[in-house]
This record gives sequence, C-alpha cells and structure tokens, in this order.
Amino acid sequence: MTAAWATIARKEFDDAVRSRMLWAIVAVFGLVTAVMAAALSLVPQIESSAVMGLVLAGQSAQMLAPITALVAAYLAISGERESGSIKVLLGLPPSRGEVVLGKVLGRGAVIAVGLAGGLLLVAPVVLVVYGGLPVVSFAGLVLLTVILGVVFVAIAVGISAATGTRSRAMTLSIALYLGVVLLWDGVAQITYLAVAGTFPGEQIPAWYALLESLSPVGAYDAATNALLASQSTGAAVPSLAARLEGGVVPVYLSWWFMLVVLAVWGAVPLVLGYVRFSRADLA
Amino acid sequence: MAAIDIDGLTKRYGGDVYAVNDLDLTVQEGEVFGFLGPNGAGKSTTIDVVLDYVRPTSGSVTVLGYDAQAETRQVHERVGILPDGYGLYDRLSGREHLQYAIDLKDAADDPEDLLERVGLSAEAAARPVGGYSKGMTQRLAIGIALVGDPDLLVLDEPSSGLDPNGVRQVRDLVRRTADEGRTVFFSSHILSQVEAVCDRVAILNDGHLVAVDTVEGLRAALGTGSTVSLRVDAVPDRLPFDGLDGVSGVTVADDVVHVTVTDPTVKDDVVDLVRDGGATVLDITTREPSLEELFSTYTAAPAEQAADAVEGQR
Repeated sequence: MTAAWATIARKEFDDAVRSRMLWAIVAVFGLVTAVMAAALSLVPQIESSAVMGLVLAGQSAQMLAPITALVAAYLAISGERESGSIKVLLGLPPSRGEVVLGKVLGRGAVIAVGLAGGLLLVAPVVLVVYGGLPVVSFAGLVLLTVILGVVFVAIAVGISAATGTRSRAMTLSIALYLGVVLLWDGVAQITYLAVAGTFPGEQIPAWYALLESLSPVGAYDAATNALLASQSTGAAVPSLAARLEGGVVPVYLSWWFMLVVLAVWGAVPLVLGYVRFSRADLA
Repeated sequence: MAAIDIDGLTKRYGGDVYAVNDLDLTVQEGEVFGFLGPNGAGKSTTIDVVLDYVRPTSGSVTVLGYDAQAETRQVHERVGILPDGYGLYDRLSGREHLQYAIDLKDAADDPEDLLERVGLSAEAAARPVGGYSKGMTQRLAIGIALVGDPDLLVLDEPSSGLDPNGVRQVRDLVRRTADEGRTVFFSSHILSQVEAVCDRVAILNDGHLVAVDTVEGLRAALGTGSTVSLRVDAVPDRLPFDGLDGVSGVTVADDVVHVTVTDPTVKDDVVDLVRDGGATVLDITTREPSLEELFSTYTAAPAEQAADAVEGQR
C-alpha cells in the first residue's frame, strides 16, 4: 500500500497542476526573471557578463519565488477547512499530521517544478544576450531557488494549518511577505543605524551580514552570492570576504550555514502550524 | 460490542456555552439509529466528536471498540462518513474523488460499482465536481462514505439539499446497508425518514438527550394515542366513553366525533357505542400520531430542564 501522505501529495500535485492561476504566476515569474537577467546588457556604462546576468536573475527570483510559493500553498489547509473538504479527507484514515506532510510535499513538488521550469527561460536568454551560459552557476541558482520556493511552501502550509479561514491565511501570508521579504533589510539597516550611528557603508561587520542573512531571502541571497562569486572570474561578483571588515568569513556566514537558516525557516512555522491544527476543533 | 458508545460527553465553547451536555448514548451493532433534534441541538457537535473533528471538553466516545480520539485511524478504517457541512474538490472529477478515497482507505472497491450504487452516471463521474448540482455532490459524498465496506455508516443530515427522489434513494441505501448487517447512525431534522427506517431514535434538544426509544416506544411513552374519527348522520346526545379503558379524549366537530384512543383494541367498542347511541356511522378514519408531533412534544418545553442541568455542571 502507498503511504497516506504519498497519496495526498500526489493528489495535491495533480490538483494544483490544473490551476491556471498557478501557471500564470509561474509564467510571470519566468518572464520577469529572464528579462531581469538580460536587462544588464542594456546599460552601456557597465561591462556586463553572463554571471552578472544570473546575479540579476537571482535578485528577481528572491522577490518572486516567495510570493509564488505563498500563493500556491496558503490555502492548502485553510481552504479545505473553509470549504469543508477537510472533513471528507479527515473522515478517511489519514491523520492530521499525514495531511500536513502530504500537503507540503505535493505543493512543494508543484512549486519546485514551476520555479525550475520558469528559470529554464533564463538559460537561452543569458546564452543569447551574453554569448555563454555558466552551467554550474545556473544549475546552482536553479537549485537554490527551488529550495527557497519549497521553504516558502512549508511556511505557507504552516500558516494554512494554523488558520481556519481563507482571509486569515491571506492576511498572515501578506504580513509574512512584507516582514520577511520586503522589510527585513530596512529593519536591519535601522538596527545598524541605532548601533553604529551611521548607515552601513561598503565595509560591513560580520554581525550585520548575519542579521541580513537571517531571513530566508537573505540566506538565499548570501548562498547564491557565495556560489556565483566562487564561479566568476575577477571582481565581477564581489565575494562576501571582500565586503567584510577584517576580510575573514566566519562559520556562521558560510554557504552551508545559509542552508541551515533556510531549513529552520521551513521547519519552525510548519511544526507550529501542525501543532495548532492538530489541536483545532474543525466545526 | 457497541457500535458507538458515548459516555458523559460534554462539549463546552467558551466559559458557559454547552453544545452538548453530559450525553450518554449507546448504539448497538446492526441497528439503524436515528439522531433527532432541531438545528442547534448539538447533533452535529456530537457526531463531530465521534469522528474526531472536535475534541470533547469531558467524557469519552468509543466507536466499534476503539477510542474515537486516541485510535482515530482504526475507527476511520472501519467507518463510512458523510459529514455535515462538507465540501469536495472542485477541480477533481467524481471518479477521481472515489479513487482518492479508495487509495486512502486502502480498499479494493471498483469506482464504477460505487457510482452505480449511488446513481451517478459515467458521464457525470468524468466531469469536475465544481459543476455538480447539490444532489449530485451529495450522491458522490455518499459514495465516498461507502468506500471500503464500512461496518458503520455515520450520516449527518444525509437528505439535506436533496430532491424527493434523492431522499428516497438515501432511504433505500440506508435500508440496504442495514440489511447487510451494518450499523447506520444518522442525524436528521426531517422526521418522516427517520420514522420509516430507524430501529431506534434518540431525541436531542439543547445539548441534552431527552428520549431514546423505538418509534413505537416513544408513542407509548407519551400516551398520545391514535385518533378515530367517525362521521355520523346525527351526533348522539350521549357518548358514554367515560367507562371505557383506553379512551383518552373525545371532541365533536360538526358531524364528526373524534375519539383519541391509547389502546388500539378499543376502536371497535368506540364504533359500537356510537351506533348504540342511535347514530348511523357514514365514515371511519383513523390517524396515527406522527413522529413530528412526538418530537414537538419532547422539544417544546425543555428550557427549564436544560437550565437546571447547566446549573448542575457548575
């Protein structure tokens, strides 16, 4: 017998694949990211390169992948609670934990396929515009973007599990996007201002780099930067070491620590959402 | 072993709102059990606890010998459920819904067979459920409940939203399921169906159980007998029913004498007495009290009683 979570995951995938809205968002994601990757070549003052095109693609993906994932998953459980289909599903043998797991895996797989598919648009654009495609950098960018998307699916399923209605799930998702994606850097800068008395300049202390990297988007940004800097020649993509005061990268700013930050962001909201869901009265 | 055993179940919302208050109820295996009450009586809350959608404030429920809260999987593997206020997946077809339920229940059913049992056509089953009528949706949901040959069917308001034809189909389905030796527990505020198919009935009002009995037993307990109506050419001056055991009331309206009897065997004597009075009987009709009337009798004046019980909880 197939495990219940696997059956639920497969159904979630089949169901989400039929959503036109999801594919529209994925198409927008791919197009905007591809345009951003190409845009640098239009600025005459900058000597652009394929790796720099990928940096821009990553900048675009870190804004769009989270919102795509949130849209794909914020109704995963709250929508079923509002429509009442959760009662049919939980009237069958699966436990609430298996439902949450199946939802994360199914919707995570959808977003992984969607984001990877969207980024595939970037490859020919970079190839044509810059005359070459750094394959390792591109593959790494795709992988990190998929990880970022799956982390936001896990956050969204956690939010969805914790809330009983669409509107509350939407409100929480928007608040999360604002806080974690749009406002985090600003808050970090204000914190720096409060501590150091000035805004951060060219050289930054390690604690400030860490503060920037503690959001899932910051961690993604730091990890892609580490990857692309290591693959680029010269100073086209400045490495973290070059930005840090003292020039030494501590362990907590290494690329693998960024993956740990992403994993924590994926796990904690999901577990909290599950705990709340497992205790909820589904009246 | 009882199919459902509810012991001291209380569900309180907030500080003092009791949806269900100290409910004890046992449903035997193999019986068709009707759970009756007006809207808001606590029927759905009780069923929600039985199915582990809602956790009790106190008390316990076992289903087929398994604890409803601690052994939910064992319960749900053996029970078919039609919940109240359920929904389905708009983008999936009817057949996909059944296959999903079959996979999750690890059952060997054939979707075509289930479709036939609930009266859904193959074309309808191929369409996304978003376009279904309420009646089609309800049939599909009942089909999902039948997946895996459940020992117990729990149906919360199975007839809501159905046309008369659909209502009859549900009734037939309940009968057939019961004939196969399974237990059926269903709630309703539509009483005629309950009356037609149930072995026993429980009446719930304001979170309290007010009666559990067979339909006949409820009638007898209330003493509201059947009514014999005699149309006569002329109402006799004297109607000496006082000395007759089993007659509980007499009224006369125009040329019709209505006699309420609590013992069916006195109907003959009633007719004889009227004839002895000198009247010619033109027509005789008898009427059994409906469950509806019994139901109103039980649920009409329970407010004081309920308030007392709430006091008792504090």
